[in-house]
Amino acid sequence: MLRFIIRRVWQMIPTVFGVILITFVLFNVVGGSPATMTLGKHVSPRALEEFDEQRGFNKPLFFGGWAKTRALAAETFAQNAGAWRSGGEFIAHSGLRLTNAVTVPLAFPLQATNTYRLTLTYRLTEGAEAVFHGVEPQTLAFSKTWKTVALDFRTGAQPTATDLVVRVTGGALDLRAVQLQRGMRNPFDSQLAFYLGQLAHLDFGVSSSLNQPVSTLLKQGVGPSLMLMFPILLGEELFAIVLALGCAFYRNSLLDRSLVVIAVALMSINYLAWIVGGQFVLGQKLGWFPVWGFESWTYLVLPVIIGIISGLGGNLRFYRTIMLDEMYKDYIRTAIAKGVSKSGVLFKHVLKNAMIPIVTNVVIALPFLYTGNFLLENFFGIPGLGYLGINAINSADVDVVRALVFIGAVLFVVANLVTDLLYAWLDPRVRLE
Amino acid sequence: MSTTASEVQGRSLWGDAWQQLRRSRLALACLWIIGLYGVAALFGEGQYLYYHWQDRAAPYNATHLDLQYQAPALAHPCGTDGLGRDVGIRLLQGARIAFQVGIVTSLIAIPIGVILGCLAGYFGGRTDDVIVWLFSTFAAIPGLLFIFAIAMVVGKGLLGIYLGIGLTTWVNLCRLIRAEVMKHKARPYVQAARALGLSHARIIFRHILPNVFHIVIVTFTLRFSYAIGTEVFMSFLGIGVQGEPSWGLMMSNARLRLWYGVWWEMAFSTLAIFVIVLAFNLLGDALRDALDPRLRTREG
Repeated sequence: MLRFIIRRVWQMIPTVFGVILITFVLFNVVGGSPATMTLGKHVSPRALEEFDEQRGFNKPLFFGGWAKTRALAAETFAQNAGAWRSGGEFIAHSGLRLTNAVTVPLAFPLQATNTYRLTLTYRLTEGAEAVFHGVEPQTLAFSKTWKTVALDFRTGAQPTATDLVVRVTGGALDLRAVQLQRGMRNPFDSQLAFYLGQLAHLDFGVSSSLNQPVSTLLKQGVGPSLMLMFPILLGEELFAIVLALGCAFYRNSLLDRSLVVIAVALMSINYLAWIVGGQFVLGQKLGWFPVWGFESWTYLVLPVIIGIISGLGGNLRFYRTIMLDEMYKDYIRTAIAKGVSKSGVLFKHVLKNAMIPIVTNVVIALPFLYTGNFLLENFFGIPGLGYLGINAINSADVDVVRALVFIGAVLFVVANLVTDLLYAWLDPRVRLE
Repeated sequence: MSTTASEVQGRSLWGDAWQQLRRSRLALACLWIIGLYGVAALFGEGQYLYYHWQDRAAPYNATHLDLQYQAPALAHPCGTDGLGRDVGIRLLQGARIAFQVGIVTSLIAIPIGVILGCLAGYFGGRTDDVIVWLFSTFAAIPGLLFIFAIAMVVGKGLLGIYLGIGLTTWVNLCRLIRAEVMKHKARPYVQAARALGLSHARIIFRHILPNVFHIVIVTFTLRFSYAIGTEVFMSFLGIGVQGEPSWGLMMSNARLRLWYGVWWEMAFSTLAIFVIVLAFNLLGDALRDALDPRLRTREG
């Protein structure tokens, strides 16, 4: 048994790693810039940079010596002079013409004592000379007219936004492309490493919309979610199992057939219809239950009823199939043949053997106790994790959504592990495989 | 004669399934309902394209402030909403969006599921390990949350819905196809094909895939209703369709009016969703019964 446990835990690792990778790819690689997603497009580059700095988004994705910085937007001068408006004259198809000393238009001062790389693509007119911040340029590439150089420099102890100056004497310099990169002290100091480090410390970051640590928000939300979801799970499973046993007992009777039809109909009614209808009829018209808030247990009655009803159809069908599957097995036929009563067969044999799928179904549903229910929590004003999640998605709160996805997935993996262990404990055949 | 020839050959799985399906009145009714919705969706698409092309305000968006909250009557069989727009015409547009979501997400999810499932089942070994790892990772992430997160990253709107639902719902299909292909791999017809020196691609897609394709049909039917339901959720919560008359948005608009006795928009959009989802669910069940001979013999 111990060997089985160890093997099973070992098998969990790749999945957890996969979940880390997927959340990383989703939010860091595909998501692009969470800063603009969260703060909007009309925010100063400095605010965006601070947002990124706090969350490690201003590092290279996986590996690299150079990272992007928002101090100077990369320009190709195809349409206009961009931030360089005051420094030079924009000439279509040629770029930006600089004729004397021009301050590089940094949006904010660079970090102190750090390496930076300014990459310029330019050409000089006859007799012109250019001095870049007193740094010797390294030529990266050149064609007949254009030349690309990299200027590596180190910032001083107190850099300002007007530090970088390009001096052109004796003619003009046409600038076609410009890019500024920040040097990384450690090339392995990447977004992935930052994320892994956060996870290792169980630090899920800071919510950008609520300005609180995500772990605090999660702790606050889990209670209400559990209070809502636990009764739902309990009621759903209990009703479904009892009704499924009824179906198996009276199989092919009117009761069985009508329950099957009702189950499909229940499955087809949208959750929203239950919520809106329940709030309207039971809450508003009849006034039996409050419809918004979280002050006493009465606030939970209606959402719990709705949760049970909307989950009942699927569960009933599932358990009925399982019970009927069991009913056709040989040992049941033998039991009936030797004269065991119908209820004896049902409760002693069928239910006991159907325990394995039932246990699986229940344990797999456990993680959802934690993640809560988006719709119910939102429409009944229950401050659980589902409520938190929807608000986070609506305000593009990356850290909260990422934490919820990650924790939900890890709990699911753990629940899977628990079911497998329970299997092995309930059914010795599993252990031998 | 051709009739005797077909009798000698026996019926194919598909012919047999069709016969079975035709015998069930419920399944036929579902097919008719889905067909009608399909026509409505096509009509909606035509209407949308026509007014889009003409660059005019479409009737489903035309506001008549003097016709607010008209109860169902002959002129507006389903009543009008808060801006005097005809609910019936908007429901047809909703059918268009629902079918778009169902079809586009299937076009994303089914190829991924089928191809990965076939590769994993057929080649086994390392390929199988990687694909199993991939789908168990995807399966671990809570479904609705994953869909919402993808939609958030991609941006609100139809594209987010397509990618969110499409990229998360291939897992089950992949798992089923993989298991089925594994079984078929050991069958004599595959070994014969291999002995003939056919390429792997030909064996997988010409020989094995037709034999497991019934899984795809059943999955398609069942996931269609899931996609429709999820789109409704997302639009209702404000992370889905923007500015177009989706059923979810209509329900969301109608929700607050319900308290003032304006029941028709809510009732008709809920009914529209219920009927199509029910039809797809029942058809899926009927198809499963018809296409999976093992179930048939057992349930008798």
